[in-house]
Amino acid sequence: MIKNKAMKGSEKLIETIKQQAIQPAPKWQFQVKNGLLWTAFLLAALLGAMAFSVILFAIQQTDFNVVSHLSHSRLELFLGLLPFVWIALLVVFLAIAFYSIQHSRKGYKLTVAKQFGFSAALSVLLGTLFFIGGGAHQLEHAFAVNVEIYESIQQKKIKLWSIPEDGYLSGKIEAVNDDFITLKDFNNQTWKVAYAAAFMPPVVRLEQGETIKLIGKITSKNEFKAEEIRPWGGRGKRMGGN
Amino acid sequence: MQLKFPLFWTSSNLNIITMVVPKEICDKYTELQILQKSLVVVDFFSCLYDRYEARLMRYIKRLTHATDVEAEDILQESFIQIWKNLHGFDQNLKLSSWIYRIVHNQAVSAFRKKKSFGKDENQPWDNRLDASIPDDAPLADGEEALGLDLNMHGVLEQMPLPYKEVLVLKFLENMSYEEISDVLKLPEGTVATRINRAKKAFRKLAEAQQIKFV
Repeated sequence: MIKNKAMKGSEKLIETIKQQAIQPAPKWQFQVKNGLLWTAFLLAALLGAMAFSVILFAIQQTDFNVVSHLSHSRLELFLGLLPFVWIALLVVFLAIAFYSIQHSRKGYKLTVAKQFGFSAALSVLLGTLFFIGGGAHQLEHAFAVNVEIYESIQQKKIKLWSIPEDGYLSGKIEAVNDDFITLKDFNNQTWKVAYAAAFMPPVVRLEQGETIKLIGKITSKNEFKAEEIRPWGGRGKRMGGN
Repeated sequence: MQLKFPLFWTSSNLNIITMVVPKEICDKYTELQILQKSLVVVDFFSCLYDRYEARLMRYIKRLTHATDVEAEDILQESFIQIWKNLHGFDQNLKLSSWIYRIVHNQAVSAFRKKKSFGKDENQPWDNRLDASIPDDAPLADGEEALGLDLNMHGVLEQMPLPYKEVLVLKFLENMSYEEISDVLKLPEGTVATRINRAKKAFRKLAEAQQIKFV
């Protein structure tokens, strides 16, 4: 700063600007910054919505209530079922959306709660729509196919329903007769399942090729007595569909 | 609009001749017009400086206990920032709020730098006093008046910056909640709460020093 006591403040200012050839930053820089913030917000909200939709899908697909009946370490099983990857992605995208709102021109007008609320609300709303539209299933499937280290919701579900010693069995029906179902589980082991006394909702179709979940108990080697039969997917379709 | 300038103004860039625009010419223009003219002829920027100099110098000194020289340096630096960011000015804001925001940030940053060098020891604030002030307790004497001259007794100087800044902006700079919100980049609700707490803190501190209220 040039110091000259004899000069007026304004004179000193203009002299500094001229001497150092200081120019106002071009308008486009501010426009780009503003545009980037809003783009980041929209992208983060959109990606957060996708992550949220997969979390919904995971909740829908995983029978968390089963965990409490298992004799295995419940906490371990429960934590194993949580879609951590998607929760982490949701947190990251929400944080980016939150940051973008906070640093937007008018962001400071909103309280922290509102800034966070707007970011979260948009992701929740879009995520729910994406989930209802079936996008979550496709996205999760694409992830499972393309990302090697990713453990899919389907794999987690199979793990949960492959503990016959705790009363949880699942697999594909190979044959059905009046007293028994022949079932091949996901470890390719064949089971003879007695189902006469089992509760079975109408959506369950006992047909060859159908995938089902069973709650019951082992009666002898490779024999299982079913107390309840559930469809593999929410609507009783074949595995891989939903 | 046709301006009548002395001839040497227009050629000032050649030898860096610095001219400030006379007050009578500056007075003909609104602040926004001055900004626009500054982008064409930088000398017009002096109008803005002259228009705000006195109150901003006062504001800086109230906020930071800066000396005249320090305050002027802060103001000069602030106006350089204003000049650099001229295109970033959001015209939905009041220009004065934007200018105060930049000056405020510059002043606070200088104040913190000064404090970190241990030059400012004038902060005998007791945090227990702050913690004992409820957020929502009603004020005895209405919301707008403190019943005490803020400049008196040095009470204001002893207050922590977050309280001091809102009290100065509200009661000494006579700004509205919206303007303070724009200067400090805080939600209006937060400004209102902080003013409320600051007033009570001010009273407590004044009472602790046995200063009588009018």
